[in-house]
Amino acid sequence: MEIQVDRVTVEFPRAGEEPASLKEWLVGLGRPGRRKSRFRALDQVSFSVERGEVLGIVGANGSGKSTLLKVISGALVPTAGRVAVCRDKVRLLTLGTGFDPELTGRENVYLNGALTGYTREELDRRFPDIVAFSELEGFLEEKVRNYSAGMVSRLAFAIATAREAPGILILDEVLSVGDLFFRQKSEARIRQLIHGGSTVLLVSHSPGVIRQNCTRALWLDRGRLRLSGDPDTVCAAYEGGRDQ
Amino acid sequence: MDRWERWKQYAFVVEQLTGRELKRKYARSLLGVVWSLLHPLLSMGLLSLIFSHMFRRSIENYPIYYLTGYLVWQTFTLATSSSVTALADNRSLLLKVRFPLELFLLGKNAAAFVNLGWSFLAYLVMLLAFRVPVGLPILLWLPVGVCLFFFSLGLSLLLAAAFLFFGDIKHLYGVILTLWMYCSALFYPVEQLPAAMAQVVGANPLYQMIACLRGGVLEGRWPGPGELLAPALWAAAVFGAGLLAFRRLRPGILRRL
Repeated sequence: MEIQVDRVTVEFPRAGEEPASLKEWLVGLGRPGRRKSRFRALDQVSFSVERGEVLGIVGANGSGKSTLLKVISGALVPTAGRVAVCRDKVRLLTLGTGFDPELTGRENVYLNGALTGYTREELDRRFPDIVAFSELEGFLEEKVRNYSAGMVSRLAFAIATAREAPGILILDEVLSVGDLFFRQKSEARIRQLIHGGSTVLLVSHSPGVIRQNCTRALWLDRGRLRLSGDPDTVCAAYEGGRDQ
Repeated sequence: MDRWERWKQYAFVVEQLTGRELKRKYARSLLGVVWSLLHPLLSMGLLSLIFSHMFRRSIENYPIYYLTGYLVWQTFTLATSSSVTALADNRSLLLKVRFPLELFLLGKNAAAFVNLGWSFLAYLVMLLAFRVPVGLPILLWLPVGVCLFFFSLGLSLLLAAAFLFFGDIKHLYGVILTLWMYCSALFYPVEQLPAAMAQVVGANPLYQMIACLRGGVLEGRWPGPGELLAPALWAAAVFGAGLLAFRRLRPGILRRL
């Protein structure tokens, strides 16, 4: 078993309920006892993922998909329940990848690489591959500020997948970007990683992407696990459920 | 990953973060790193022009007196005020990383100290220019620098964590810094202060550090054990408090990112 999610609940205080400044906090001290309502982003979600599985997660915006990924990658501590996963093996790839617009492409590859666990030697060795895969030859000394959105996501994808199969790869809405060619290329790369033994979690609100790539799928609906099963069934139910 | 590899990776991360900080700092300036040398000198020139005559009886070498304090102060403010928003500004990165968030603040502080290194070159040149005899007590910069580093880092941790909970910390800290600067005796002699004020200034860890350095550089005098111990204790206490608060607040910090 690679990932085990056991009755995970995540609650947030509703916006405006929690003091956002010292001033609000001080004012709040004067009138205690106000009941705080909390928002449940995830409600008793349980599932497990086997090694080598490609699990798709579908759901509308705000259904808790990103929260779930954050809990699995360890960026968020659940309010209740637990997640069993080897965090050293997890690699998370999302859009808006935290590149620094003032630095060049090359500097960002090293900064981002260091932060996501590459050693210097590894980066030196993989650098040509990263450049080639992202098709950014000749742009690496350019500031990322001047890149197009497509170029940024290509570079992010290339950095995240340059190494041999990570234990667990989490993809948050990244397959639906880029032009047609890059999409085909990135899907091919994902398939290569799957054959290398990676476990993949693929999040998308586009059922098409899930159908094509996944071995199993989950449907999250307002924080609850609505359905889990083979991708066609789950996607069909999701599409049907959305229309109601 | 064994422990050695882990620390090596942390060092690589801090190096990259520090590098980014410095590159950004000089990103759009023609003179780049030269500003780190020029800035303290310009400030020194200006303050000397205004005050050296006024304080000529109590301060023998006004430019160096000022510059010594200014370098400490500049490093401290640069490190801490850039740290306040360090976590909030890096939201999207922090969600992907798997190492201690403290490293981001270490990067900010390290960048401020690299900047101090450059400014120190200008300082040495000024010591020669003003014919200050450079003796062994200049080595006091090392222990005082260590105190300053841990004091700044501790406060940075506290501020960055607090900012995630209370957004107005940023503005409040700006006001506190102004007040703090006037209590650090950067550009005036302490002897002329009323007794109550002198006590406040004397208890200020930054002033304690500055006083050690001024004694060493301007008078060639080694500080008594208490004079160096006081800022060291401050640094240890604030650094400890910062680490502890950061650990304790970690779930809340993550939730607010």
